Formats: sequence, structure tokens, C-alpha cells
Amino acid sequence: MASNELSSSVKIAAPPKELEREPLVLNNRPPSWITNQVVGIIEGKTPRWWWITFIISALVMLLCPIYIGYLITTGVGVWGLNSPIAWGWAIVNFVFWIGIGHAGTLISAVLFLLRQKWRTSINRAAEAMTIFAVMCAGIFPGIHVGRIWYAWWLFPLPNSNGPIWPQFRSPLLWDVFAVSTYFTVSFLFWYMGLIPDLATIRDRCKNFFSKFFYGLFSLGWTGSNRHWRNYEKAYLLLAGLSTPLVLSVHSIVSFDFAVSQVPGWHTTIFPPYFVAGAIFSGFGMVLTLMIPLRSIFKLHDLLTVRHIELMCKVTLATGTIVGYAYGMEFFIAWYGGNPYEAYCFQNRAFGPYWWAYWIMISCNVITPQFFWVKKWRTNVVFVWILSIFVNIGMWFERFVIVVSSLHRDYIPANWSYYSPTKVDVLTFVGTFGLFMVLFLLFIRFLPLIAISEVKGVTNYADPHHPQGGAKGGHH
Amino acid sequence: MKNDPTLSSKPTGPDYWRSLDELTGSPEFQQWAEREFPETVLDAPDGSSRRDFMKIMGASFLLGGMGLTGCRRPEEALVPFSKMPHHYTHGVAQYFATSMPVRNSAIPLLVKSSDGRPTKIEGNPDLTEGGGGTDTFAQASLLNLYDPDRSRHILKSGKKASSEEAESALASLSEQYQANAGKGLRFLVQPTQSPSRLRLEGHIREAMPQAQWHAYEPVDFGGASRGYSAALGQSLRPVYHFDQAKVIFSLDCDFLGTEQDAFSHIRGYAKGRRVQDGEDHHASTNRLYAVESLLSLTGSNADHRFRVTSGQVFAVAAAMMDQCFEELGGTDNDAGSPIPALRTSLRDKAKQVPQIPGKDGWSAKWISESVKDLVAHKGQCLIVAGQRQPEAVHQLVAAMNVLLGNLGNTVSFVADEQPGYLSLESLKASCDAGEVETLIILDGNPVYDAPADLDWKATQRKAQNVIRLGYYVDETSQDVDWHLPMAHYLESWGDNRSGEGSWLPVQPLIAPLFGGWSEIELLARLAGDAETKGYDIARTTLKALTGASDFEAQWKQCLHDGHHAALKSKPVSVGAKAPDWSKLTPQIGEAITDEAQSTQASKEALEVVFHRDASMDDGRFHNNGWMQEWPDPITKITWDNVILMSRRTASELDNLQNKEVVEVELEGRKVEGPVWIQPGFADFTLGLALGYGRAETGRVGSLGGGSVGYNAYQLRGSQGRHFATGAKVRRLNKTHAISCTQDHWSMEGRAIVREANLENFETKRDFAQNMDLEAHAGHIPHDADGQPKQIYEHPYDARPETQSEIHQWGMAIDLNTCVGCSACVVACQSENNIPIVGKDQVANSREMHWMRIDRYYSGDPQKRQLADSLIMDEEQAYQEWIDDVQVVNQPMLCQHCESAPCESVCPVNATVHDHEGLNVMAYNRCVGTRYCSNNCAYKVRRFNYFDYNKRPIDQLDRGPWATLKDGFIERPEDEVNLVEMAKNPDVTVRMRGVMEKCTFCTQRIEAAKITQKVAARDSGDIEVPDGMIQTACQQACPAGAIAFGNVLDPESAVSKLKQDPRNYAVLGFLDTKPRLTYLAKLRNPNKNMPDYHEMPLSTSEYTRAMGSPFEAHGASHGDHGHDGAHEEAHVGESHAEGGQH
Repeated sequence: MASNELSSSVKIAAPPKELEREPLVLNNRPPSWITNQVVGIIEGKTPRWWWITFIISALVMLLCPIYIGYLITTGVGVWGLNSPIAWGWAIVNFVFWIGIGHAGTLISAVLFLLRQKWRTSINRAAEAMTIFAVMCAGIFPGIHVGRIWYAWWLFPLPNSNGPIWPQFRSPLLWDVFAVSTYFTVSFLFWYMGLIPDLATIRDRCKNFFSKFFYGLFSLGWTGSNRHWRNYEKAYLLLAGLSTPLVLSVHSIVSFDFAVSQVPGWHTTIFPPYFVAGAIFSGFGMVLTLMIPLRSIFKLHDLLTVRHIELMCKVTLATGTIVGYAYGMEFFIAWYGGNPYEAYCFQNRAFGPYWWAYWIMISCNVITPQFFWVKKWRTNVVFVWILSIFVNIGMWFERFVIVVSSLHRDYIPANWSYYSPTKVDVLTFVGTFGLFMVLFLLFIRFLPLIAISEVKGVTNYADPHHPQGGAKGGHH
Repeated sequence: MKNDPTLSSKPTGPDYWRSLDELTGSPEFQQWAEREFPETVLDAPDGSSRRDFMKIMGASFLLGGMGLTGCRRPEEALVPFSKMPHHYTHGVAQYFATSMPVRNSAIPLLVKSSDGRPTKIEGNPDLTEGGGGTDTFAQASLLNLYDPDRSRHILKSGKKASSEEAESALASLSEQYQANAGKGLRFLVQPTQSPSRLRLEGHIREAMPQAQWHAYEPVDFGGASRGYSAALGQSLRPVYHFDQAKVIFSLDCDFLGTEQDAFSHIRGYAKGRRVQDGEDHHASTNRLYAVESLLSLTGSNADHRFRVTSGQVFAVAAAMMDQCFEELGGTDNDAGSPIPALRTSLRDKAKQVPQIPGKDGWSAKWISESVKDLVAHKGQCLIVAGQRQPEAVHQLVAAMNVLLGNLGNTVSFVADEQPGYLSLESLKASCDAGEVETLIILDGNPVYDAPADLDWKATQRKAQNVIRLGYYVDETSQDVDWHLPMAHYLESWGDNRSGEGSWLPVQPLIAPLFGGWSEIELLARLAGDAETKGYDIARTTLKALTGASDFEAQWKQCLHDGHHAALKSKPVSVGAKAPDWSKLTPQIGEAITDEAQSTQASKEALEVVFHRDASMDDGRFHNNGWMQEWPDPITKITWDNVILMSRRTASELDNLQNKEVVEVELEGRKVEGPVWIQPGFADFTLGLALGYGRAETGRVGSLGGGSVGYNAYQLRGSQGRHFATGAKVRRLNKTHAISCTQDHWSMEGRAIVREANLENFETKRDFAQNMDLEAHAGHIPHDADGQPKQIYEHPYDARPETQSEIHQWGMAIDLNTCVGCSACVVACQSENNIPIVGKDQVANSREMHWMRIDRYYSGDPQKRQLADSLIMDEEQAYQEWIDDVQVVNQPMLCQHCESAPCESVCPVNATVHDHEGLNVMAYNRCVGTRYCSNNCAYKVRRFNYFDYNKRPIDQLDRGPWATLKDGFIERPEDEVNLVEMAKNPDVTVRMRGVMEKCTFCTQRIEAAKITQKVAARDSGDIEVPDGMIQTACQQACPAGAIAFGNVLDPESAVSKLKQDPRNYAVLGFLDTKPRLTYLAKLRNPNKNMPDYHEMPLSTSEYTRAMGSPFEAHGASHGDHGHDGAHEEAHVGESHAEGGQH
């Protein structure tokens, strides 16, 4: 038998070759290249395309003051709102922008805590996107109120009207706190991460004004060991502080709906579903923004296809969670035996707003499924196109939730239909202008990739790597 | 007063004169100029001084504990009270009894006066007419008073003239016609029962015997009166006693809606409908049958309804009469009786009763069974025929009421005191013949509303001298020699008689704003009477009626009471208990034979019905914003009239689409209007509401450019004034936007309005509490007392000190008696300063009404699938289930939830609960997030999307740029000032960006509490007695369907209603604990009728989804006797008995 023929001496096989991780920076780029490549964007001449996009964006942004001015002088009636649909595009846009603002902090805080090194190439831009998106979002709750000049009553400020306080049971008040906290912490986090890079720019630039401002904002950073120690400790702490905020902001935004008793709003699934949706939309927006930047600024070695692939995977995961939530809403509407809720969901899918619902389903549930296929999720152009669908789908998700639930609720006599007006649409378009203006300024004046952090994940920073170690590598 | 020209003997400065009289220094002018108040009611009676006038007036008002106002604010400022009138407190409203004259009748009123201006109209509860309820027109007539577009000046050939000129012109006319016995003098008047006008008319008829009197009323309510008078051979006006009738049969008669005195009929009908606990409901509840072409309020309340064209109503009446003979039997046995011949002719006419396709014998059975029901309630039933029906139908109805022994029981009579008037046609003939020298038109608006073929505009001008007394400078006043502004009834003295014959005073609450005259003041001048003041005329008339002794006391008393009980017309005995058939039959027979049988309507020859509009009346409310924006009680359309038609009509007319503009042609006359497909409408009938499309209207009536609606009078000829057959419809390939306040028609099987048949009710009296999700709550944890366990502690339990132990306010609305007339909607608007928002805003569901009447249609559940509930609202009009619908109405207003969802979501605490259980709005605190509205399950909150009170209504979206072109930032001055006078000073006027909603009339609650506190003094009894507070809607409700009061008092009316087994909370399962609850509606159908349903259609719809409410289930779980589908819906209930999971 063959077994008898076995040699008694067993060959000691060589250990299998360790699977090499795909590098996060391709072509083994040295730290100096990274610095030159990123800071070079700021130091270089302002490209013509930048001016063109900036001017267009600035003009589009002008729609905001024009239509908001009209709104404030004339009344909320310039929007398409009515009874029963007392919230429309303003709230949809608010939730949409807030949702987009989710990816940044998730990438910088949660992935940081989870030691996901690939975050370093995208976190800076994603955080900037977050801050600008939250700024766009912040416009809407302010202007959507009927008497904007009293909007400050939402803050618990001492006043002469006797001890009148805001109503702490109202989710709108929680929103005020949640969004302002989120903005503050995200901003601080972003700014802190910028300090070493600002110092790098300061050290390189020749222009007096640039030197002065970059110097001012780099807060005297010298890159000393003590600075790095404090910096990393603070960064970790802020990451820890931001992580619950990532979950809380959109949970609280979802409370605006979940705490009410409107069928289609009043569901306990909302907080996780909203958070998943927010991450989904945030990553969608990061992809939409980063893929063109990568080509324009030749950042293929820093923002690799692997990065895009990983983002696609997050999109796939969260998109599927969102799809599950859609299905679960229907299941509970049926299983719960509440005919009002059952009708709400039937009406959502097959009622007058069926088109919005199916746009949402196609964009949010079907689109990410393409990312199962490696070939497709590594095709950058294809991913970019799909990312736009994700953005559209997530706007429609909020539209479906807000409008289709309100338009047919409990009392059929008061059912109605909602259509936006020109003012609704153009104000929203204006916020895109604002967003683009801010983002263009960001890529023009600030490093859009976290230089020091990317360097930290290269081979040069790895003491165990032949190229790495404390060999006096340039920081 | 230095520069007062009346004081200075030598005018300084340039020489201006006010009239030629001044220039010549005539003594008349001197006298006029020296008078401080030219031409007002302040003119003292009998030439006594102003002081005496104050004494007299003051004293008369004092009787009721009321002081004198009678002059509007600006004048009061000129003449301050040197001595405060007794019982007058600045800021405290006073009430004056008066009445609103309407065609041939009057509505008794109590009008609120706030510091000298009338601000709210209420019914006079002392009279049986409405018992305190009113109709919408009375409520809205207040706004007409302050209409900035009303006629302000005397016009002579279109130019302003002084009242002296007009008076002297009238005086010379008077002399002239007294001299020639009135030859060439014609009057065109509207019928009235006013004793003063009839008296003055009598004067003129006596002094000018050749003057002729013509009467024209575009909406003629005299049919019933003429029918009875002809049938019974006496001049009579019928008085219906709906409260006495157990079976009511309406032949195209909208006695609950657009007929004369509907508010009074609603009172009676509701009384007969009201279900008291512990009585034999079958014996006490009335039953209503309706045969009609339009879907009217009456038809929508009917237990059985048969839709036929208006022309077929006659055939139905004939068939009924024949059936009456059949059932009563014995009447035609005598040889030589005229009855067999009559029956033959009746049967001949009855052949025209329409057959229902696919339902053989349905119509015959419907008629025979309903007549059997009438016969079974002999002497306790009532048949009424509608105003649009020809005299033959009225005569048949008179005869049937005689046959059924109803005379003296459910219908009585008062004498018709009107003299005979000539027709408009005969006036045209005279005008054409050039016989008319002077034509005096009192009110009315014939150029607008006369039959189109009379070409009244040209006809009227053929008179040499046309004098018009009109409230507006309208179509009729365009080309006249004299236009005299008419005084509003709240500005004039007079008297009137109601439909039931009560004598009612008309007393002013304010001096004529623009110096208008009343009809009687004009007639008195023409008659050449020395007495030309309305006050004197009315007194003289009353003196003649009461006798001179003790007159002052009676005068004061009747002004205080608002009526004079002794002067009420005595019922006329017609001796009809045993009808003299030999006399009656030929009369009826003749009427029947003469009645040209209307051609059967078809799609080639459609029937057109011209109906009185529920909001415009005949056009007189066209410039009234409240009425324009008041949703029609059936269609819920505002700011428009439409061409109503049935689904089948539209589909057979080449698939006409809803809102499509079509041209209707009738006998060569044409009119264009938008199609509106109306459920429950008779096939091949078009409903055209009168009163719209006024050529000369005001700013409201011409909102958005042009005129609101189309003018249906253009189509109406002198033949077939109320309906006509032979119309054609042509498609125009354009659409017209319609602002409808209720887009969705079906209740979708939801238990929002809960209703049952009487039989169902008797098997389970608390069926209403056995519906919706609260009845399916058996599986959730319960407390020891059987109530579902609460997750949250009730705020009053958590903090008992916040709860008042004296007052807790609540309301109950009896859906069984509410007929949906919507008078409450206008009453609320008037009381609470609710702005109108205009057609475009209504189109976007932004109407501000705090109270709305939700009207649902329910059809055969077999014809309606789930998918039908998911379609766009626009597609409803083409669905088959709408053909034969049942209708329910529900007043919907803030429910004042104890656990109010709106309160917990307001971020600024602007809507909170008070200690007496009211959900209150602090407008000043509201920032307008609108979250409260979203979270309100009843959607009763209204948001000020624009500055409706400040900015011109047609330029709301122009914000601060509005009216810049006129050089005004805000509305033109006159509009603001006059419209503001109509505002209730007790209620805040809201600005834009603020949420508002029903307050349960918190201002009335506070006023009552203050009054009670003052009265209580040291006794400490500050609990407001039940009935002291009436909310505006409750006060206006002619049905008495609304009860409001203290729910802590077990004896209060509202507490008692809340104990009723029919009491339920809408969406009670949400556990919002509304303070407003409803009493379920009951239907009383006849089992033998072919359209009998075992339960109301809406309840069938509900049952299909949620199980029958008449079987025990839900809370009393363990009973598995109901159907399988229902079981499935409650997975896990077997193991869930009180358990938590």
C-alpha cells in the first residue's frame, strides 16, 4: 500500500510566504514625494479649471442669500409647504446634508480607533466635507421657521421674558444641541489634524502673508517629540469623543421623526437606520469628490484603487443595511397590525409618491449591489457614476420619509399633495454652490491629504521594514 | 374748532362752496351745515333733542341690562360721553336683538357690539326659528357691512350727488305721481314680509293707484306657497314641523341646505333625529327619503336616496301619489269619484320614472316601499318639494300631505300677507311699450340675474327715469339716473316676519357708515310721508299692530326680546283634516295634465339645473371673502362655481376630465365653466350654481383678475328658470384650476366617523367604542381598572397642583344631528378673526379655518379595491364606486388632547396645556417650526404662511414689494380700516410665521369666568354654570349638535353626552385623550327598501379590514366568534391575554 511507502523522514516544508498587504502608498513613494505632491497643490499656480468652477459655484451660491432674503421678507409660504405637509424640502435638505456630514468623522474617528490605516488618505478631505456639509445643513433649520428673528429662542438663553426655557422634550431642541456639538467637535478634530501639515506648509512657503497665516494657524508647531506626544494623545481623545457623536447626531436627527406619532415616522428602527444611511451617503459623497481630485492632482499613488475599493465595501455594507431597514419597515407595518402604518407603507411604494420611492430603492439598494463584483468596484469611473446615484438616492430617502408620510396620515379628509416651488429648489441648489465654494477654497489653501498621517502608514514609518526605522526620514 | 366754517360767519381764505345752496346761502343749507351729524340715526325722533333721543334709546336698551351704543367709534370720539350711559362699560361687549331680512322671511339675531361696532352675529335663542342657530349667510352678512367696496355715494347719472338733491328729486317725483295717480310709475321689488314695507307699499298703492308693482327674485322660494295656495284655495305660507315628522320625504328639496329657512328646518330635523338613551329609537327617530338630482345636504343626510334628474321628480311624485291611493285604499270606491281618472293620469306620468339599468323593478320598489312607510306614519310624516320644482309637483305634494293627514300636524300654515305682484316679464312688456316713465328698483340686481332672454340691461334703460336703491354699485346701477346707497340691515330700522310668522324688529347697531337708506326710508319719501326715518316708520307700523296704549313699553320690550310674541301670525286652519276630494282632484288633475312632461335627459339633450349657491346665494355675497373661501358643504370647493355632473355623464360626454373647461349651450345661449365630477349626482344632469361671475363686483369678487366663477344666469331663460332640458356640452381644450379644501373623498375604512344602522345600534349600543385599534388592544397590558396600562404618567397625575378642580373644559359633537351645514365654520371665522387667504393659497391647502367639516363619501365596498386607495386624488372622479355614495360629515377642530402630541414637540413651549384642560397657543412665543402641525394626528393646526392680515391677498408672495406700485407698503388705507372694524377685539390678530388653531373660544370662557367671579363675590362660587359659555360654533349650530362645558360637573350637558354609549374619541388608540369626543352617527334605513344595506357603507368598509364592530371582540378577548380574516390580523392574541410581550 502506498502508506507503507511513506518515508519516515518528513520534509519540513518552508513556511508559506506571508501574504503581503497591498501598500497604502503605491510605488514606494518616499515621504518627500508625498509632501511635494500634496503641498505642491497649494504652492502651485491656481489652475484655470479652479477659477471657472469657483466662479460658477460662487454664482450658484448667490441663490442662497437671494432666496433666503425673499423667504424672510415674505414668509415661509414662498415654499411649497401646506397643511398637512408642513415640512418639505428644507427639512429634507437638512437631513441630507447632515447625513453627508457623517462620513468625515466616521472615517477620522471610528476608523482611527479601529486602526484602519487606509483612512489616512481620505480623512482630511472627508472631514472638510463634513464641516461644509454641516454648515449647509445648518442653514435650513434656521430659515425654515416662520419667524426667523426669534429662532434664537431655541437656545436656552437667559431672557427677560421670565423664566421661559426651551422645551427639553422636543427633538428639535435635541437637534440644536446635537448638531452644534457635532459641528464643534468635528471642526476641532479637523483643525487639530491640520496643525502638523500647516506647519509643514509654513516651513516651505516664501510669501510673507502665507507664512504669517500658516504660522498663525499652526500654533507654533515644531514637530518636537513633546508636541507629537501631546498631539497624538489629544487626537486619540478627540477620536474617542467624536465616535459617539457619529452615532448620536443622526440618531437625534432621526428622533425628529421617530418621536412623533406620524405613521411612517414613528418607528424604533430609525436611529440605526439613519446612521447607516448617513454613512452610506457620506461615503457616496466622499467618492464623488475624491475620484475627480485624485485624477486632477495625480494622487493615484496616495489615493489608490484599494482605497476606493474599501470605500465601496463600506458603501455596500451600509447600503445593504439601509435596504434591510426598508424591508423591515414594511415587515413591521404588516406584522404590527396597525392599519394606519400599513397604509402609509403601501402608499409610499404605490401611492402618489411611488416614483420617489422607487428612485430611492433603485439608488440606495440596487446601486451598491454592483460593488459585490471586484471588477466593477475597481473601475473608478463606474464607481464615480454609482456614487452619484447614491447621493441622489439618499436625498430621495429623506424626501420619501418626510413628504410621503405627511401627505397621507391619519385623517383622509386632510390629505394633500406637495410640490416644491422655485424657491425651494433654488435655495437647495444654492447650498451646493456654498458647499463647492468652501470645498474649492479648501483644496486651494489647505492640504487635502493628511501628509503626516499618510507618511505614518508608509514603509518608511515602519521600524520593522527594511526601508523604515528611525533613519532620520524627513517628516 | 376755530376754523369750523359752520361757526364762522365770515369765511376767510379762498371762496369754496359745498353746493349751490351754500353759494346762494339758502336757509336749507344753513340748517344742514349747522347740524353736527347730517343724516344719521342720531336724528332725534319726533323732533326732540339729541339728549331725548339718548334717553329713549338708552332706556330701551337698559331693559336688557344693556347700554347705548348705536354710533360707531369715530363719532363717539367726537362726542365723548359727558355722562356715561348706564350699564355701559368700555371694552365690555353688548348684545342687541335684531333680525336679518331675507327673501320673504327673516332670521332672528342677537348681535354683539364691541364699543359701538357690530362684531359678531348670533341667532336669537328665544325664538323657535333656529333656536339660536343661524345660517352661514347671517354669519357672513357682518362682513358685508364692512365691505370697502360697498356703495358709498349717491350717484346721479354716475356722478356724486348730495342727499339733498336726491331727496328733492324724490319729493318732486312723489308730488308728480300723487298728482297723476302714479301713471307711468313702476316698482321692481323683491318679495318681503316686512310689515312696514307692506304698509308703505299700501300707502303708495292707495295714493298712486296706477303705479304698478313687479317683483322678481332670481331664486324663487314661493313655489310651495303657490302650490298649497292653489291646492287649498287660500293664500298660504306653509310652516313645516320637521321635529314632528317621523318620516320625511324630500322631492328635490334641500330643506337642510339651500332652501328658505334651512337653519330653522335643521333645528327641527335634528330634534327628530336626536337619539336619547333609554327610549324606543325606532319610534322616536325620524327617517329621511330623498329624491333629487344634485347631491344636496339633504340628500347626503338621507337614509334612502334616489337620484333622478330634476325633470323626473315630477314623475316620481306622480308615482308616489298613485301609490298613496293604492295604499290608503277606499278612496275611489264611490261611483263618480274623480279619483280613478286622476290615477290613470298619474300612472301615465309615472311612466317617466327612470329605470336603473340592470336592476329591474328597483325604482318601482323604491317608490312603493317608501310610500308604504309614509302611509304607516300617517299624520306623522311630511313630504316637501323643492324650490326648483314646478307648481304641479308642489300641488301633488300638497295633495299627498292632505291624503296622509299631515296638515295641522307636520305642516301648518300662516297667511301670506303679501299683495300680488306683477312679473318681470310684464315689466319688460311695459318697458318695451314705452309705458314706463319712472322705474324704481329696490335692491335686487336684475341686470345680472334676470333671465337672459329678457335682455334686462337694455330693457331697463327703456324707462325714462331709473332710480335704484342698491347696496353695491353693481350691474344694475351702471346705467341709471339715480343710484342710492342702501343701508345694511345692521344700520337700519325696520321690522320683518320670519317664515313661521314671528314679528321681528330690525334695529341698527351702528349709524349708516356711508349714509345709506333703507327700503322703507325710500318708499316713505316716495309716498310723500312726513315720516321718513326708519325708526319712526317701524314704530308707527308697530303702533298700528299693537294699539297705542302701552306702546312704549311694548316697543322697548320687543326691541329687547327681538320679537313680539303677541304679534306672531296665528296658524291658519285650512280645514283639511277631511279633504274635499271633489274639489281638490280637478285642481290637481289639471295641474298634472298641464305640466309639460320634461323630456328625458340624455347625453345629446342634457338637463341643466340652476341652483342657489350655498355660499353666494343668488350673487349677493359675491364680494364677501368669508363666503368665497367657505368650502361648499358638499363639493368643498372655494372661490369658484363649477359645472357639476356625474361620473357617467362625464364619461359618456367623450370622457370629459375633471376641471376641464366646457361650453354649455342651451337654446342658443352659452356659458363656459369647469367640469366637476360629483359623486352621487344624477346622470345627464348638469348643476350650475348661480351667483358667480359678477361683472361689477368688488376687490374680493374680482380676486386674481376677472370675476370669481362663471355667470350661470347667462344660460338661464325665462322658461325653465330652475331647470331645463336640451343642453349640449362642447369641449374647449383648456382647464381651470379649482381650489377644493378636501381632495380625498373616501374614509378608507378608517373609524374616523363611526356610524351604524339603528338595528346595529340596538344589538350593540357601545359599538363606537368597539372600533379602531383601541378595540383591538386586548393583548397589551392593562391596569386593574381594565384600562390599558400607561407608559407615561398623565401630566395632571404627575403634578396634580397644575389641574383646576373647578373647571375642566370639554366638548362633545353629536354626529347624528350634525347635518354638515357648515354655519359653524363662518361663525368661527368671524369670532376668531380668521383671515381669508385667497384662491391660490386654498389650492395649496393653506386655508386658515380653525374648524372644518370633513365630508366623506363611502361606496359599495365590493366596488372598491385596496389599489383604489392608493391612486392620486385626481383619479377618484373616474371610479365607479362614487356613483351611489353615502355621505358622512364630521366637524373637525382642535381636539384639546390631554396628552397633546403638539405640545411635547414644540421646542419653544409655545403650545402648552393650561390648568383647565385647554391646549393653548402662545402666539407671541411661537417661532413657527410647524412641528406641532406635523405631529397633530387630526391636522387641525393652521399656519400663517404669509402675512394674511397685512398684505394684499392677491400679492401675498410679493412680500414687502407688494403694492409698491400704488405707493403703499401695506393695503390701501380704506381697506385696512374698514376690514379691521369687523375684527373681534377679544381675539389676537395673528402675524405671519405663527401657528394657530381652535382655542375652544378661550375669550368666551374667560369672559364667563370673570362674570361669574364678579357675581360670586364672597360666596366663592366661581364655577361657571353650565350653558353660560357657548363657543362660537356651538352658538351658530342650528342643529344643536355641539355641546361644550365643564366635564367635572356630572350634570353638565357635555358630561351627559360623554356618558352616552355612542361617545368615542377619534383616533382614541393614540392615547392622546382628546377633550373633544364625538357621538356616533346613526342611520335609520327601511329594511324593505331595495337600497337597504345591513350596515352603513363606511362601517362595511371598516368591517372588511378590522372586523364588525357589532360583535364583541377587541377589549373583551377570548371571544373568537368573528371571521377568519379578522383573526389573522391579530397574531398572537391567544397567548397575549393581559400578558406583556
